[in-house]
Amino acid sequence: MAGRESWDVIYYQDADGRSPVDEFLDLCPTKVAAQLIAVLDDVAEAPPPRYSGGGRWEAMHGAMAGFYEVRAQGPNREQFRLFCVLENGSSEELARRGLSRPAIAVIAGLRKPWMTGFSDRDYASVRRHGDDHRNQVPRRIKE
Amino acid sequence: MIETGHHRRRVEERLEDPAFRAEYERTRRELDQVNAIMRSLDDLRISAGLSKADLAREIGRNDAVVRRLFTAQVNPELRTVTALANALDAELQIVPRRRKQSSKTQRTAPAGA
Repeated sequence: MAGRESWDVIYYQDADGRSPVDEFLDLCPTKVAAQLIAVLDDVAEAPPPRYSGGGRWEAMHGAMAGFYEVRAQGPNREQFRLFCVLENGSSEELARRGLSRPAIAVIAGLRKPWMTGFSDRDYASVRRHGDDHRNQVPRRIKE
Repeated sequence: MIETGHHRRRVEERLEDPAFRAEYERTRRELDQVNAIMRSLDDLRISAGLSKADLAREIGRNDAVVRRLFTAQVNPELRTVTALANALDAELQIVPRRRKQSSKTQRTAPAGA
């Protein structure tokens, strides 16, 4: 495991060179984007296993096990989520992935009206991006 | 190595927007407060020589719940946080920030004060 220094925040990029994370954040209301990014920076500065994220960073379970979500609420209680995976391991393993230190890899974002859930198809889309990200060695990220 | 500065550059660009900066800084302060409470509780737990499982038993909760709580994997509920504080012989307090003299105080201050 790497030391307790801060981690990088990296954005997944698909095979066409698109960054679903950038596209999602660009369409979020300004305040929501600010909240989501603040949580990412908070966790990156005091990474796991240290407590950080102020309750807005949560491990996911079930079919989404291995992902972490960042939560924010927008106008009319619309819900916004960023889905992330952790890039951690020995320095040799990180170097194999093209990373100089551990990182939070942000995979995708989704939004939904208050009191509704994401569909299985939504989650499957996030998992598909996550699988694509993890299959790339070295990682293919937005530079 | 891959160049990993994209996020930092995007944040720097966005921080030039005053509305973004204000909300970013407000959120960071809010997160800092929750983080500080949870880290303080964990420090008290360690000082008391209690494992997370010990503490979970003290408050009648599953040890996995407390373990996930202290590793920021779940959103801490106030009731649980208060129970943890009680079990560690501590209490939560709200401390008003020191502010500049309020406009109300200024209006009611006697002339020449």
